[in-house]
Amino acid sequence: MKNLDYTLILAAIAIIALGLVTIASATQATSVSGEANFVFIWKQLLGIALGTSAFVFFLFWRYEELAKYVKVLYGANLAVLLAVLLVGHSAGGAQRWVQIGPFLFQPSEFAKLVVIIGLAFFLSQREGRLDRFRDLLPALAYVGVPALLILAQPDLGTAVVFIAVTVGMLYIAGARPLWLGTLALGGLGSMVVWIWAHLNHGIWIPLKDYQIGRLTIFLDPWSDWQGAGYHMIQSQIAIGSGGLWGRGLFSGSQNQLHFLPEQHTDFIFSVLAEELGFIGVVILLSLFFILIYRGVRIAAQAKDQFGTLLATGIVSMLTFHVLTNVGMATGIMPVTGLPLPLFSYGPSSMVATLTALGLLGNVWLRRQMIVF
Amino acid sequence: MDKKAALKRINVFLGVIVFIFLVLIARVSYLQLMETEHYRTLARENTLRLITIPAPRGEIFDRHGVKLVGNRPLYTVSLINLGQTREELEPVVERLAGILDRTPEELWEAIENQSPRRYEPIRLVKDVSLEIVSRIEEEQIDDCLRGVVIELEPMREYPYGNSLAHVLGYIREIQPDQLKRHKADGYRMGDVFGQAGLENAMEKILRGTKGARQVEVDAYGRPVRSLGVKNPVPGNDLVLTIDLKVQQAAEAALTWAVEQAQKEGHDDCQAASAVVLDVRTGEVLALASYPAYDPGIFAGDLSAEQAQALMTAPGRPFYNRAIQSTYPPGSTFKMVTAVAALETGKINHQFTVFDPGYFYHERRYTCWNPAGHGTVNVIKGLQVSCNTFFWEVGLRTGAETIAWFAREFGLGRKTGIELAGEAAGVVPTPEYKRRMVQAELDRRFGPQFEAVEEKYRVKIAAAASGERREQLRREKEREIARIQARYDRYAWDLVWRDYDTLNMAIGQGINSYSPLQLANYVAAIANGGYIYQPYLVQRVTAPDGRIISEFGPQLRQRVSVSAAHLDLIREGMYRATQPGGTAYGSFFDFPLPTAGKTGTAEVLNKNDHALYVGFAPYEEPEIAVSVVVEHGGKGSKLAAPVARKIMDAYFGFVSRGASAAIRNG
Repeated sequence: MKNLDYTLILAAIAIIALGLVTIASATQATSVSGEANFVFIWKQLLGIALGTSAFVFFLFWRYEELAKYVKVLYGANLAVLLAVLLVGHSAGGAQRWVQIGPFLFQPSEFAKLVVIIGLAFFLSQREGRLDRFRDLLPALAYVGVPALLILAQPDLGTAVVFIAVTVGMLYIAGARPLWLGTLALGGLGSMVVWIWAHLNHGIWIPLKDYQIGRLTIFLDPWSDWQGAGYHMIQSQIAIGSGGLWGRGLFSGSQNQLHFLPEQHTDFIFSVLAEELGFIGVVILLSLFFILIYRGVRIAAQAKDQFGTLLATGIVSMLTFHVLTNVGMATGIMPVTGLPLPLFSYGPSSMVATLTALGLLGNVWLRRQMIVF
Repeated sequence: MDKKAALKRINVFLGVIVFIFLVLIARVSYLQLMETEHYRTLARENTLRLITIPAPRGEIFDRHGVKLVGNRPLYTVSLINLGQTREELEPVVERLAGILDRTPEELWEAIENQSPRRYEPIRLVKDVSLEIVSRIEEEQIDDCLRGVVIELEPMREYPYGNSLAHVLGYIREIQPDQLKRHKADGYRMGDVFGQAGLENAMEKILRGTKGARQVEVDAYGRPVRSLGVKNPVPGNDLVLTIDLKVQQAAEAALTWAVEQAQKEGHDDCQAASAVVLDVRTGEVLALASYPAYDPGIFAGDLSAEQAQALMTAPGRPFYNRAIQSTYPPGSTFKMVTAVAALETGKINHQFTVFDPGYFYHERRYTCWNPAGHGTVNVIKGLQVSCNTFFWEVGLRTGAETIAWFAREFGLGRKTGIELAGEAAGVVPTPEYKRRMVQAELDRRFGPQFEAVEEKYRVKIAAAASGERREQLRREKEREIARIQARYDRYAWDLVWRDYDTLNMAIGQGINSYSPLQLANYVAAIANGGYIYQPYLVQRVTAPDGRIISEFGPQLRQRVSVSAAHLDLIREGMYRATQPGGTAYGSFFDFPLPTAGKTGTAEVLNKNDHALYVGFAPYEEPEIAVSVVVEHGGKGSKLAAPVARKIMDAYFGFVSRGASAAIRNG
């Protein structure tokens, strides 16, 4: 047992605990007069319980065995994503959830993991053969199919996570940085050009107007301060007014008086920043950095290429989530609606993230051939 | 790829991650450490609302304390724009429509017609009942009417409806031009502003000072807690000189007169007005104009088109005829002629004229009674309203002198009453007549001259030979001369002629005075020659009853007339109400001695205006009355009875008209 990465586990526990407190503050403001006050906390706790089980399971189960199930997982994943499109539950204009018993389950959270596992296996099989651009194509196709299904929900944020994860893993797997750079910048660049062309010349685009608005509004939120820019502005006001020490837990006017929208999910970071100030933000980001740093360390010390790539994919995913969520809240990234892992309210995300951490720990546990 | 290369890549990877975290920390530092104050201010602005509290407008009372204008609470149901989508609003609107007894479409229309800023209320229905208010408040407890708020504002109430409408006036949302003029006084869009009558004239006194409440609100605009209140200062109240009882009697009598005239076939009789003054002070006891309007109609939702329709309605109910209209005074003017002649020594009390039923000066003028009044002195002249007597006297006195005395009595000049829009009237002078006739001549002959010029210009231009042209020129000259001849015949009238003096002496022709001026003139006869400024407001009081200011009699001038001569005039007017007098029919059973003068003003191509001026009691005069019934025919038949009814109300006698109405009813 001494081979467990306790630093990583403690960091995760600290993030979860801080998250629960912040959710409590955010949902106290959301709920009407006392009633339903703890529903979110209970559901989150349930997510933590399920997630912890998953964490323990994936911690001790030999990750190498995952390779056997890669095809099954991949197929099941595609089937569920298709099911979401057909019978899914919609919220905010996107179909992202399926109902399982009393719970809304968000398959795209798990799709990310499945793709990471699959891609890690896929790449580890073709070790060292990524020099040419066409070597990358099978990998891209492998990620592309589920990514397009998620894009169709439409969940632009998660689809972009796929790109980040793929680029990160391909880089570690040995793809030439030039190709990756071209791929990433080219993809991003063509998207920007496409949106620009749509806005200025009415070129067709597979996105709805509100999505485009969310993507572009961060450049100048005050241009539509009552509409698309409202979230962004209120979030920045919340963060900025927090100052060094914060307004005090349960005392942020932006949160408590409900000026901040989506305050327990997408904009939970803003609640923390408003109520606990810069100090709270530094603590949270430090915890995330510790978590991610340990992940990188695990990737470096993994016993095989599969383990390294698995860890790399998970780290890429976590980093990208932190970047887009905090970036969105602070107004330097478009509004994508990605949760802050372990911190935002969202049982699906919690279970998926803890599963991912379980796999990380597993890779660490098996860095030597013999353990127990 | 070997292990070493992989480790190198992992280090680069870590570097990217560190860079990302540094960017995030830098951004948060900027927001939280450098821009704290900026965002704190924005957060504060988010939560603070300054809600203005309208000041209750001052109320208006009659001289006995009867409330003529008050305030009542007006509840408005509004929806606060929380930025909801139509789907989110759908259930709220459906439910609200049920409570308000409207269709959802009507509410949607109201919502879509206004697009205020987020968190600002959209007014849906104004003036809902207290019952609806409590139903909405019940539903709000269940939170199913999100964003619905009830706003309370004081509304103007006119308990007596049409009564005294022209004096009280009405209020409306301040109009753009008024806003421009009064911006410095702190008016804002949506404030109310007095539009007519005393509401307008006393706007500054009535309006009070707005208050404000600072509240902390949540994102839905719901007040969370109150941070401070600056109470509004209510406007001050007015106590009028008006006696509602007399006023209502006057209004009823005018309505009666118009209906009566129409019944007798005077279809053009549509309007009338009356003024009652206290002769001792100039206090206005009643000031009535028929037809009137209900000032309360402006309190509800009134569109610009509806308002416009009211303003231009036939009969012009918004026109205050008692001060804005002027009429030829007819025989009610004869006291001026008499005073002028007596004061200048042209006649004395013994002077008589023999009236054979006509008067001859350059041509024959027939008196209203062709049978003749026999030997007439000044007293009898007034009693029987003998035209022949006043023609003779008028010629002897001269137009200039009569005009001078007319002005002495305040005629042809604004009286200075508080209300806006008062007409000055006209005391005829040769200069005035020349301008008027000239304008008429230009209107009539100008186009004729031009038409001839034009006709020949074309013809001459088209003419074949010089000879023909010359012929046309001569033709044109002839035609012009023909028109000129007719023009000259009328132009004779440019100069003041004796017949103008004759007309003036009996109050016909160009003379034109408002009912208020006539009342004030008779008041001066009654009170010994004092012209007071008529006034409506006797006191301004604070809401707690404290007196802010008081207004009393204001003497404008003393008429230069001797007491002895005034006595003669008064006696003549007294005789008019006695057997043989023109107003005897209306006053034969009046319990008090009274004095008056009927008047019938000739109107071209229409029925005559009926007039009456008088005062009572004869010995110790208290009130002066003037009545004009437009196109009502003879003054003795319609105007005198109106005055009688008004006097009955003032002295507390049972009015014949009223008792007759009760019997008939």
